[in-house]
Amino acid sequence: MTGSEIHVPMQTIEAQHLAELVEQFLDLLRETEIGADAALNRLTPAVYPEDADASAEFADATSADLLDRRAADARVVQTGLDSLGEKPDLRDELVLAPSEVDAWLRTLAALRLVIASRLGIEDDPAPDPEDPRLGVYEWLGYRLDLLVEAADELDEL
Amino acid sequence: MSSPLLTPDLDEQLDLQAAPAVPWELVVWDDPVNLMSYVVRVFRTYFGYPKDRATRLMMAVHNEGHAVVATGPRETMEVHAQAMHDYGLWATVRRAGE
Repeated sequence: MTGSEIHVPMQTIEAQHLAELVEQFLDLLRETEIGADAALNRLTPAVYPEDADASAEFADATSADLLDRRAADARVVQTGLDSLGEKPDLRDELVLAPSEVDAWLRTLAALRLVIASRLGIEDDPAPDPEDPRLGVYEWLGYRLDLLVEAADELDEL
Repeated sequence: MSSPLLTPDLDEQLDLQAAPAVPWELVVWDDPVNLMSYVVRVFRTYFGYPKDRATRLMMAVHNEGHAVVATGPRETMEVHAQAMHDYGLWATVRRAGE
């Protein structure tokens, strides 16, 4: 038992890569018009698939706020990554407070959705297995799964 | 505390109370990206479902392509849909029985 925190092992190089991805994600959220990008569309799905008008009305009322919350989550991750290595005894280890966990989970899941959209994970033919983004996508999945496990364990304490 | 500027119309209120409670559904759809463990955790922590129920719902989404995850007033289902979208889950709202 480590108290009410989650310790996530993470190499400096991994943290740097993740910080770059989060920065790119924040750029995407800042600079892209809602509706103009397939990945952003996936993050703001139509809530009434059979009713375009009702969906548009819902999106007009909610999408901008949703993307603001996305950006706030991403900044929590950014701050956490910046703090990596600040404590000499905790090198290569991220320490998350329970209040930060959801922001991390949502951001890792969102990064996967964006990369999946860029790669065309659902497309036929499947993406080129040599595409480096596929490796990043798998790595994010591994990271997310570990974090879910750690967060579930904390809930059970 | 503020006070209402207008006296509410009592008849209108009664009409609202008499309105039939048409249930709406929150539907979560399968996607190839979200991890099973993550989806179970979202159902468990957001809706407060016990782990076995959350797991059954996740498996229903996975195997049947979608599952009704919550039922209730339309406004509540829209709030839930926003929360699911925050988590990256593909959620829609529909009238029950559609």
